[in-house]
Amino acid sequence: MKLTAIMAAALTAGIAFGGMTQFAAAQDAPTRLVGGFDVGPGGFPNNVNPLLATTGYMALTLAYEPLVIYDEKIEKVVGRLADSFEISPDGLTYTFKLAADAKWHDGEPFTSKDVAFTLNLAKDTASGSVYVARLSTIAEIATPDDQTVVLTLSQPNSSLLDTLTKVMMLPEHRLAGIAPDTLARNDYWITDPVGTGAFRFKQYSPNQYIEYEAFADYRRGKPKIDQLVNRYFKTPAAAVAALKAGEIAVSYVEADDIKNFQTDSAFRVIEGNSQVVNYLGFNFAAKIWDDVRVRKAVMYAIDRETIIEQLYNGKATAANCGYSAARLVPDGLETYAYDPDKARALLEEAGWGEINGDKPISVLTYYNNDQANNVMAAMQAMLAQVGINIAPRTVDMAGYNATIYAKPIDPSQFQIVYAGLTNGPNPGNLNIGLNAAQIPPNGSNYTRVDIPAVSEAFDTAMKQTTPEGMDKAYSDVCKAMNENLPWATLWETKRYGVESAKLKNLNWQPAPGGGPYEMHPELWELETN
Amino acid sequence: MTLYVVRRIGAGILLLLALSMLVFFLLRLAPGDPLSSYIDPMVSMTEQDMERLRQSLGLDQPLPFQYIYWLGETITGDLGRSLQRNGQPVSELLMASIGPSMLLMLSGSLLAILFGIVIGIVGAVRRDGPADVILAALSSVGVSSPAFLTALVGLYVFSGVLHWAPAGGMQEPGMPFTLSGLLSHLALPALILAFGQTALIARYMRSSLLEVLHQDFIRTARAKGVPRRKVILKHAVRNALLPVVTLIGSTLGLAVGGAIFIESVFNWPGMGLMMVTAVEARDYPLIMGGTLAVGAWVILANILTDVAYAFIDPRIKVG
Amino acid sequence: MATTPISHPRAKSPARRALGRFGSKPGAMIGLAVFASLLLLMLVHPLVSGIGPNTIDLRAINQGPSASHWLGTDGVGRDVFARLLEGGRISLLVAVTSSVASLVIGFLIGAVAGLGGRIADAIAMRSVDVAMTLPPVILLLVLASITGPGIGPTILVISLLSWPVLSRLVRSRLLELGQRDFVVASRGMGAGLGHLIWRHALPNSIDILVVFATLQVASAILLEAGLSFLGLGVPPPDASWGNMLFAARSTTVLTNYPWQWMFPGLALVVVVLAINFIGDGLRDAFDPRSEGA
Repeated sequence: MKLTAIMAAALTAGIAFGGMTQFAAAQDAPTRLVGGFDVGPGGFPNNVNPLLATTGYMALTLAYEPLVIYDEKIEKVVGRLADSFEISPDGLTYTFKLAADAKWHDGEPFTSKDVAFTLNLAKDTASGSVYVARLSTIAEIATPDDQTVVLTLSQPNSSLLDTLTKVMMLPEHRLAGIAPDTLARNDYWITDPVGTGAFRFKQYSPNQYIEYEAFADYRRGKPKIDQLVNRYFKTPAAAVAALKAGEIAVSYVEADDIKNFQTDSAFRVIEGNSQVVNYLGFNFAAKIWDDVRVRKAVMYAIDRETIIEQLYNGKATAANCGYSAARLVPDGLETYAYDPDKARALLEEAGWGEINGDKPISVLTYYNNDQANNVMAAMQAMLAQVGINIAPRTVDMAGYNATIYAKPIDPSQFQIVYAGLTNGPNPGNLNIGLNAAQIPPNGSNYTRVDIPAVSEAFDTAMKQTTPEGMDKAYSDVCKAMNENLPWATLWETKRYGVESAKLKNLNWQPAPGGGPYEMHPELWELETN
Repeated sequence: MTLYVVRRIGAGILLLLALSMLVFFLLRLAPGDPLSSYIDPMVSMTEQDMERLRQSLGLDQPLPFQYIYWLGETITGDLGRSLQRNGQPVSELLMASIGPSMLLMLSGSLLAILFGIVIGIVGAVRRDGPADVILAALSSVGVSSPAFLTALVGLYVFSGVLHWAPAGGMQEPGMPFTLSGLLSHLALPALILAFGQTALIARYMRSSLLEVLHQDFIRTARAKGVPRRKVILKHAVRNALLPVVTLIGSTLGLAVGGAIFIESVFNWPGMGLMMVTAVEARDYPLIMGGTLAVGAWVILANILTDVAYAFIDPRIKVG
Repeated sequence: MATTPISHPRAKSPARRALGRFGSKPGAMIGLAVFASLLLLMLVHPLVSGIGPNTIDLRAINQGPSASHWLGTDGVGRDVFARLLEGGRISLLVAVTSSVASLVIGFLIGAVAGLGGRIADAIAMRSVDVAMTLPPVILLLVLASITGPGIGPTILVISLLSWPVLSRLVRSRLLELGQRDFVVASRGMGAGLGHLIWRHALPNSIDILVVFATLQVASAILLEAGLSFLGLGVPPPDASWGNMLFAARSTTVLTNYPWQWMFPGLALVVVVLAINFIGDGLRDAFDPRSEGA
């Protein structure tokens, strides 16, 4: 009897203790979210320096914040580090009121001085900034008080707000001591960088991952996730495998792989417009594309309709200029319907045999997945039929940038690029790749497009101050692109993401370049079971 | 003995020098301006800046001078900066990837040596028996299957179909290091790396043991009534192992070749994966550094083998 | 080579006996039969089939094996069977051409080292040491990064890589031979190096050369496949077994369309196995030690 009592007591105590430890464990165990935020064309794995970002904004906004940002639906620009902002009617003065309670990860307050510092750095070519040309219309940066920034422009710039969503604010107190020309590859970025975002940098392992921890003093509330890991993958296919194995909770996924997730209740599939136009970019420095008839022949030689229908399962729209939004595409564009005979005739007229003939033409791309490989193989076969032999080469983003920005430039390495450029939400995004004023080192017109009609159309559009004026002006850009073909424009596709059903409040969107848009990382939750 | 070791090391260093010369001049044949290896594409530079840099790097000098300059830099540990990967120093990238490669290659080779010796013994002892025939067939397939094909099949079967193994990588990213995590990621690639080499070692062990079994002292021992099992394990295997030791060096060397493919299929963060990405991106400083590191590894493996062999077999003349 | 009169008086009958021994090896004969029938298929197929290896059909992509496409189609609707055979032709072209090239280089360097005196020997053998230091794949990568992809560069790269083993074999055979009276006699009679190589080195190394050439074709096929698998060998749209396997680096192809990579993989293993069996048979046949067995 006594023994039973003791045993019962021990048992109860044991259960209670066990339960408590279990409870304690549930309290103590940090929530940890591993995701593939830099997978796919919107990602830029291993980029730790916001000034060099051409894509990869989703990962950057985990730790950093811009002044303004696109809203949850990626439609309009709203304040982020700026509580509010105002644009004067003439489009020449921008006034930002900053969030008073914003802090850097090291506890220092965020002030207007930091904004001025960041913008000056981003306007300085020495820093390696990719925003120099896009910010060049800012003539003056004034900081009347700690919470106010006033930008004065030399001329109206309808793209400036869009650009400002991409410029991540950087801490003056940490960076002022580093010479701008050594900043691009400074160890600062991988040792102890600070931002103002919901998550604080913890460690970086090249080609493997970057790890963050919750920033407890975040002004919009302490994040619910304690540890956040952004894992890098060599290919989207590797990310798909990790997603299926439960190693990561969210990732961009190729259209081909979607069917593996659609029937599985453990995942949610997200579909959206990529807002990216895919194109074959003629490298004018290669000196074989000067004749517009040759460029037209490339358009006529590619059966875009069949590629879209079969290889994209209809999940893409043909693009006859850089845009496909109805308000920007004027009537009466040449549709370049598939016509290999016409392509051959045009090449004949232009004297293609003299210009290049059947020599292989190098095509550089960073699109590294089955679908892109198949599309490339199809285009290769179609172009070969009219007598244009292309030799594709696929590299990762870093290799791509190293090639296109190589000094001195070697056009034989990329006589064509197969790439994509953001054409929305602000249509002015195409300007950086097509305007002669943006030829490197000023901007990213690395295929050296210098077609006056196109540059002038962009210059006019950038100066518009009303939405109607912008739409009209950008449809003129569309027309100029359609006639002059600085690129062989191909299509705009749908893009997909997959997230674990356990993940809450993560508003994943197929944003061009990964954003930046309002993702509210501080609200993300991961259900445990 | 010491003299022998010193001489072998000296020869190894000379070999490494010759190798560096070969690779240096080969890479100078590559298209493109070698200057671009020293420029960060993201940092703006004027033509004059580039000319000044060209002179300060000695790139306007004749090739042999350039080589000597480069060699000096290399010996002091400066292998230049990677053209991509945030312009990190090549030496840092190498240091970070040598560990994982060593781990994969050593565990793969160890498995291969163990399996190979056992299979070889079984094959020789049960010569032409069913086990021998099956092992011979398997080892023929092993020799004829390229590492990337076995890696693909292994990934398909064990990760894709059976879900026994993770899809790649070295451990759960960002998780604190655990031995079990590492081992579960290591198992499949190491076994696949071992697969191709096991065949080679097994063949060698089998023929070496067969040869020994025909030698007089074995026949004598058998005639004296020593049990067959004891003869084989005690006398024959020990003698047969000697030539197999020489193979271990080349196994470690061969492992490099197999590891390149296995690392790129399994996304294993080692030298092989790094070399392949470097070649894809034409990242010459990294290719150069990686080649030298691999060459040093192979030379070292060969020296170790020779020295071990000299220790084991007193018949080898040393000095 | 076959018409060269063989100076060695005993050479004829061992060669014939070797052939006889080769014929009695079942492994070698099966290898030969498999290889010959695949070769025949590769050569005949383009003459009788209407489907070209590079003909795309976007309306029939990723289809499994069927009556119209025996081994299915790939991601752009090309016939896998036609590509497999085309890949075989290209792989063999690369392998055979590069093997012949490395045969010539390897033999000449080995012969010069063996017959040309100490200095030539030292230079030749040190360069062999250097070339053998690097694992083939690394050197292959270095060379491929310089030449870029392409069939020509691939052949060049593999040829430049494969000769050192042969040089060593030929040299040690000739060093053995160098002691023999008739070479000494020929030298005494003022025979030049070229004469010695042509009249003595070649006939006396013919067995090494035949075995090496055979086995080298197999290893060249593997090297080509490896290089193309990494995207550095034969570039698309030309087919090769290696670049067909390249497609399996994506999980979708690996798990959903196994016919696109399993058949080329199988073809690769079968052909390499067959050639290795032939080579092993030849080696045993030429090896006098196996005569009594």
